[in-house]
Amino acid sequence: MLVQVENLSKRFDTFTAVNGVSFRVERGEIVGMLGPNGAGKTTTIQMILGLITPTSGEIRIFGKSMATHREEILQRMNFSSPYVAFPFRMTVHENLSVFARLYGIKEPQRRIGEWLERFDVAKLRDKPIARLSSGENTRVGLAKAMLNDPELLLLDEPTAYLDPEIARQVKEQLLEANRDRGMTILYTSHNMAEVEQLCSQIVFLNHGRVIAIGSPIEITHAILKEERDEPALEEVFLRVAREARG
Amino acid sequence: MKAHRIVAVMARHAYEARRNVDRVTDTVYWPVLDVVMWGFFTTYLGHGLGMQPDVIKFVLSAIIIWGLFYSFQRDLAVGFLDELWSRNLINLFSTPLTISEYMTGLICVNVAKAMVGVGAASLLALAAYHFNIFPWLPGFVPYLINLILFAFALGIMITGLIFRYTTKIQALAWSFAGLLAPISCVLYPVKSLPPWLREIAWTLPTTYSFEGMRQLLAGGGFNPHLFWYGLVLNVFYFVFAIGVFKVVFAAAQNRGLLVKLE
Repeated sequence: MLVQVENLSKRFDTFTAVNGVSFRVERGEIVGMLGPNGAGKTTTIQMILGLITPTSGEIRIFGKSMATHREEILQRMNFSSPYVAFPFRMTVHENLSVFARLYGIKEPQRRIGEWLERFDVAKLRDKPIARLSSGENTRVGLAKAMLNDPELLLLDEPTAYLDPEIARQVKEQLLEANRDRGMTILYTSHNMAEVEQLCSQIVFLNHGRVIAIGSPIEITHAILKEERDEPALEEVFLRVAREARG
Repeated sequence: MKAHRIVAVMARHAYEARRNVDRVTDTVYWPVLDVVMWGFFTTYLGHGLGMQPDVIKFVLSAIIIWGLFYSFQRDLAVGFLDELWSRNLINLFSTPLTISEYMTGLICVNVAKAMVGVGAASLLALAAYHFNIFPWLPGFVPYLINLILFAFALGIMITGLIFRYTTKIQALAWSFAGLLAPISCVLYPVKSLPPWLREIAWTLPTTYSFEGMRQLLAGGGFNPHLFWYGLVLNVFYFVFAIGVFKVVFAAAQNRGLLVKLE
């Protein structure tokens, strides 16, 4: 078991963002975390990253508690989100050098070059972050997330700002990392086709609670409450989102 | 604490200093401008008004050393504000970096920046006004240690408050030291203050340092009492600042402010 989330809750004053969430991620899986806006996905990911202290519950990663082994755990995982920025005056290479040092990576120049190349942003190496497009920024963020060869990768809508062709290339890189390096990926996205394509398991959240866990087809059956031959996550999502709006 | 993570924080702020004109201005421009202005003023006092020629020694050394104190305090808080302005906090704190490593890295890089500022201001004072502060510096060391410790304590406390209250209170980074300047007796002895204000002045380590340095410049030698009283006060302020920072940082994590600050 790589990730074990038990009865996790987070309250902000009177608002409960996450309410008794439990799920498990096995090594080598790609797990999607889905749900409408405000379902608690991002708060859950931020608690897994140790950025927010849970009100109750426990997060165990690599068999260790996040509350007591934060440094050790974060050394072996990484995170990327297109909504998180880098210092914009620094160049791509300077930014990645800082993160390579933070993880104590051996041969940082080779690793930085390799991942910039893989995400097709090597030509931007000496450009300040401020001059990159959103899509380029996202790919630099993904290169950062791969620098320490993480065993667990958390991705928050990684293809949100990418055009379809670049998104396809990014998905290929992620699948390759999963297949060849056994990288476990926990993934949030609003692109249901992408989730169906990438994820073997899905944790579906709504109003801070888990409403279904399973493969895309199991989730489809559980939420639509009807037999289908193919997963229909788009339909599932729309159903849950409409119900959530009341 | 891991050295490579402290070095990473230093590298991050060194890159920023190289590419951000604001940081160059903070480090060199203001200390140099202060020396230019006060240098002319003291020249006028010395030659134009016929006051003691030594006045330039007292004023310029005070201005240079105050610049050191001010830049330590300000740059610690501004360094953290740089992370907020560039929305880099989630990236940083989703790595194994600890808050104590982050603050240590920031302190190390600010020592270097402050030295550059003091160096530039001191060389200008020597070149333009023939005031050489360098022979005095070894004697100033104990007092400088007290000033730097107090600057760190203030910087840590202000950074903690920014964690909790976000950029709403960012002006404190630049303004708080200014508030202390009049009662730290940078340019005049404590006895110049009204009696009730003297009591407040003696609660600040800065007052002991500037009084001590003035005694040295006047030929009175090193005053251990002024050093030790300042140090004891510093221990109190430092422990208080770290306590405040820890409480505020934990509260920020609990309220999810590290994420919302983005």
